[in-house]
Amino acid sequence: MPTVPAPSVNAGQLALLIPVGSDTYALPLEAVREVVVDPKVTELPTSPSVVLGVFNVRGDIVPLLDTSLLLGMRPVAEEPYAVLVETAHGTAGLVATDMPQTVRLNESVGHSDMEGTTETYLIGDARLAVALDVSTLLSPARISR
Amino acid sequence: MSGSDSVAEGDFQHLFATEAEGRLDTLVDQLLELEKGGATPELVASLFREAHTIKGGAAVVGMPHVARVAHALEDLLEEVRRERRGVDTPLIDSVLAGVDAIRILIPLAVAGEDHEHAAFEAEQRLRIAVGGPPAAGDEAAAAPTPVAAAPASADPPPSAAPLAEQPGPRRSAAARQAPAAALAPPPSPPEPPPQVGGSAAGPEPEADRGAVPHRPDPVTGQAPAAAAVPGPTEPARAAAAEMVQIPVHRIDDLVRLIGEASAATLRLGSALLERLERDPSGMTEYRDLVRSLNELQELALHARMIPVMSLAPRLRRAVRDLARESGKEVRFETRGEDAEIDRGVLERLADPLLHLVRNAVDHGIESPDERRLRGKPMEGIIRLHAMQLGSEVVIAVSDDGRGIDVARVREAAGSTDRSAMEMDDEAALYLIFRSGLSTATRVTGVSGRGVGLDAVRASLNAVRGRIEVRSDPGLGTEFRIAVPITMATLRCLVINSAGQAFAIPLHSVRAVLPPQPSATVGGRAMTMVEGRPVPISSLASVLGTGNGVEGPAVVVAGLTRSHAFKVDELVDQRDVVVKGLGELIPRLPAVAGAGVQPDGSILLVLEAAGLIERARRVDSGDRSLEAADGGRREAPVARRAASILVVDDALTVRELQRSIFENAGYRVAVATNGEEALTRISEERPDLVLTDVQMPRMDGFQLTAAIRGQPALASVPVIILTSRGSDEDRRRGLECGADGYIVKSGFDQSALLSAVEHLLGAER
Repeated sequence: MPTVPAPSVNAGQLALLIPVGSDTYALPLEAVREVVVDPKVTELPTSPSVVLGVFNVRGDIVPLLDTSLLLGMRPVAEEPYAVLVETAHGTAGLVATDMPQTVRLNESVGHSDMEGTTETYLIGDARLAVALDVSTLLSPARISR
Repeated sequence: MSGSDSVAEGDFQHLFATEAEGRLDTLVDQLLELEKGGATPELVASLFREAHTIKGGAAVVGMPHVARVAHALEDLLEEVRRERRGVDTPLIDSVLAGVDAIRILIPLAVAGEDHEHAAFEAEQRLRIAVGGPPAAGDEAAAAPTPVAAAPASADPPPSAAPLAEQPGPRRSAAARQAPAAALAPPPSPPEPPPQVGGSAAGPEPEADRGAVPHRPDPVTGQAPAAAAVPGPTEPARAAAAEMVQIPVHRIDDLVRLIGEASAATLRLGSALLERLERDPSGMTEYRDLVRSLNELQELALHARMIPVMSLAPRLRRAVRDLARESGKEVRFETRGEDAEIDRGVLERLADPLLHLVRNAVDHGIESPDERRLRGKPMEGIIRLHAMQLGSEVVIAVSDDGRGIDVARVREAAGSTDRSAMEMDDEAALYLIFRSGLSTATRVTGVSGRGVGLDAVRASLNAVRGRIEVRSDPGLGTEFRIAVPITMATLRCLVINSAGQAFAIPLHSVRAVLPPQPSATVGGRAMTMVEGRPVPISSLASVLGTGNGVEGPAVVVAGLTRSHAFKVDELVDQRDVVVKGLGELIPRLPAVAGAGVQPDGSILLVLEAAGLIERARRVDSGDRSLEAADGGRREAPVARRAASILVVDDALTVRELQRSIFENAGYRVAVATNGEEALTRISEERPDLVLTDVQMPRMDGFQLTAAIRGQPALASVPVIILTSRGSDEDRRRGLECGADGYIVKSGFDQSALLSAVEHLLGAER
């Protein structure tokens, strides 16, 4: 099983913007495998609440995780997109509530204090995106708690 | 910790870990042979080589501490090889301790944890052992061990005797690799060297292997020649020329892909039927494809098979150690070298078998004096037999000891269960598999039969195995385990509950009932199944998925309990290729896994034992389980109020325990030594403390004493978990106020959890 290095986001780099509720998060493009539209999710009873369920990606069973709840915020209300991310513990899907888009990042405008995130970037004129730290966010320990 | 490790190094470390495991098994096996049969140059040289190879490998993959210990091991064996150091029990013990240390150090190294002091201790011990008695001339070199019964092992006939009595995995290796030898030219008196598998024995089996299709009965030990070739490693190496070693995951990938190809074929079939309205089962091409895929799947599954007896070295070692500790004489015999089983299944059997074998030594075999008084041979026998029966492998662990005292079992169980008194002997015997002995006996892990047997049964259930027991007072006990050879597909009953389909493995379905009337007995809803009351719940409410329709009920049998679950409707029966849910999600006791269906949907497979346990807790009003309607949308709540402080300096142990307890719903805090633990406790009083003994700065005994010294903490239960099972440690632990003492070697998850539950229950 190959260990996956956790790529981080830097200025000038291509990143995927992931809208979740009223917030926007960013992942380095190379950390993202693909985006699944309207994943067909099977609920997983008795699992931690961040696990919205599991879905089938070409025969693989992949957990779909509540991006917002993982970051300690209110749970998402719907799951129209799943961003597939490779982690050291296998593939996971992160919920996006709107269509993710690719952008080239500007300089960071500041550090983000939220656990599981790194830097904050200004997108366009008024929109802020917080870069996610996949290796911290998507660990079994964090998911089970 | 890690971080500096390159990706490649991590991969190689895993590879090395696997390789070293095999080498260590060989080492132990040869060592025990050395102890029994005496030192021959070939044997000692082979031992030396194993240590040397481990040292080299460890250095290469960046495990300096492992390399250090292996180096010390090598040096010690070098002394023996040069006949400057004799073979005696302390030597054997030292080498075994070195092997154990390496076994512990490797996973720590893989986990990126630096464990220098353990390495240092092990190394010192080996260095000290070098200074043992010198090899006392040729005579001692030939028959040096005080344990060996044979007077002069250089002499062929006597040396064959211990081998015949001791047909272990050496024999298994021999049986597989050296049938040629058994059929080889009749016993011209064998030369001493080949009898221990020196290089001379190597080429011979290799040359003839292909030509000899039949395996001789591996156990009769008829021909001295058969016993004369059990070179443990050399034939194996020679045979390796015809084999390739591939990582298990590649085979798993293969099996998975074939499974997916099969599923795709089924989808293709339904597409043909839907779109072209052609029944694919009438098409020769389609049938050919399906048949080929089935054969392919069978072959691929077969590639995962390994001999059951590959577990024998570990078991033999356990028997030997425990027998020595308890002053008993025990011989370990194996039979059934050709029985094979899926590697994954066998891995799950290791602990249960270890448990049974240890039980047999501990409680089955009598002391030599007692045996003599009873007119039995002083030496007890423990047998491990394996055989394939259809799609199952049956493994029996038997002993010729005192048997199980059914009256005592009945008495012990009777204190909590009146019905035990009315049971017939056979039914009463099976009470040993029940959990629920008193906390004290459970935690210390030494007491009469029955301790941990519920855990054995639980582990077996996870691989869909069964266990049976037979016992003849005064004559012995036999445990029989039957497990399916592979776990790849599972025949399931598919049901709907609250609108979601679930699969229930058919082997755990006892009955299906039409919509049931139920009565409440003692606060629990019960229904009658085959004339007996069985608790009944709605599956949806147990799983927390909402309200189901009141449809038929499925009676599910767990280990000791049955439970009826109301479902919306029954759907059908299906073979499900069960996959795990991945490492990211914690293990869910009620969910065994999931299968991808031909239409691409995912079908969850439920686990009987976990489901019943959950139902029991939901019924008893355990609020922590109430997922609440639409519960998954709710923020996680603290599941149980109880918090546990885990104190251990070993990362792997700590994290293992953390995950065990967190999965069980506890809150967990961790500390790496006693001092840190006291700081944590001062921040928040835990409901229970689980501590290691050996830790830097403040050890587990000191920590326990410190906790007991504070009146505010006097009622906090403390369990000591240690790798050492000595009475002295146990006594010290209990003296300084620990409530329980668990030995890591006998460590198993469910025993640990129930110990903790008992103590917490007692405290609140």
